[in-house]
Amino acid sequence: MLLGTGFADHCRGQNIIINNDLTFRDMLGGVPKVVSKHTAGSAAEFLVTGTAGAEVTVDFTLPQYMYSSGYTLQLIFTDTDCAMDSSATPDQSNPGYNDRNPWETQTYRIGSNGLTIWLGALALPRTNQQPGDYTAPIVLTVTYTGS
Amino acid sequence: MTTSVGCKHINWIIIAVLALGMLVGASSVTAQETASGLVFANVLAGLSVTAVQDLNFGDVLQGIAKNVANDDAVNAGIFTITGEAGAGITVYMALPEYLATPTGDDRLTIMFGPDVASVDTTINVDPSAFGSGWQNTNPYNLPSGITVGTVGQNQTAVFIGGRVVPAINQKSDTYSGYITVTVAYTGT
Repeated sequence: MLLGTGFADHCRGQNIIINNDLTFRDMLGGVPKVVSKHTAGSAAEFLVTGTAGAEVTVDFTLPQYMYSSGYTLQLIFTDTDCAMDSSATPDQSNPGYNDRNPWETQTYRIGSNGLTIWLGALALPRTNQQPGDYTAPIVLTVTYTGS
Repeated sequence: MTTSVGCKHINWIIIAVLALGMLVGASSVTAQETASGLVFANVLAGLSVTAVQDLNFGDVLQGIAKNVANDDAVNAGIFTITGEAGAGITVYMALPEYLATPTGDDRLTIMFGPDVASVDTTINVDPSAFGSGWQNTNPYNLPSGITVGTVGQNQTAVFIGGRVVPAINQKSDTYSGYITVTVAYTGT
C-alpha cells in the first residue's frame, strides 16, 4: 500500500511548455548580438509544471551553431545566461535564481505556479555571413530527483 | 517447528526481496520530460562595394597640377555600397600618396584635400546630380552616421576627386594607384 502510493507519486509527471523561443531577429554581418535572459519576447522561456515543492534537475543540450542551408552562425552561451523563478509571480527582470550556468545541471524546486526558466545567448555572425534564416534546437530536460 | 519457522523466515525473505524489487522498480521510474525549443536569427543582406568608375585625371602636363572635382560626372571616382537598406555603416578609404608607372620607375604625387569626397545616400550614382548625404567631406575621415541608402533604397555612393602634381621632369607614361574602400556594419 505504501509502496503503491510512492509509485504513484513518482509517476506524477511534469510538463514543459515553450512560451518563447530564443530569438535574435534581424542581424547584420560582423555585428554580434546579445539576447539577455531578462528580455521578454526575445529570451527563451520555458515553463515547467508539475508537483509543487518537488525538486527537479534541469539540463540543457545547447547548440554551438545555428544553421541555414549548410551555413553556420556561431552561438555562445555563457555561464550566467540562465535564470529561473518558481515564485507565484515569476519575474523575468529579477528572477529568484539568477545568473545560472546553462552548461551545468541546475537543481531547483517547482513552485505552486511551476518553474519558469529563461535563457539568453550571444550570436556572432561573420563579416561575410551568408544572409538567411538560421535556426537550431535547444533541448531542455527536466527530471524529478525524488526529493 | 523448526521447519515451520524456517518456512516463515523464507516467506518473509521472499516478501522482502519482492518489496525491494518494487522499491527499486519505483525509483527507476523517475519522471522526466524533455522539450525542444528553437533559437532563431535572420542575417540580413551582406555589404558589397563596387568600383563603378575610376578617378581619372586624363592627360596631364609636366609641372602643371590638375584637379578632378568630386562632382565631375566623367572623371570623379565612384564607388557604390549595397547592403541592408538603412543600416548604419562605417566607410574607410585608403588613399594612395602617389601614382606609379607600370614598371614602377617613376611616381606622380597625388593629393586628397579635406573636401574632395561626397557621400550620397540616395540611389543616385551621378556625381553631378548629388542627391542627399554629405557633400565635400574629408575622405580621410568620412562622417559617422553613414547608412546604406535609406529605407527602401539599399545603396549609397561615394564620389571622390583629387589633385595630381607632376614634376617638371615627370616621365611621360601612364600612372595608376589604388583607392581601397572598406565598409562594415555598425549595428545601428
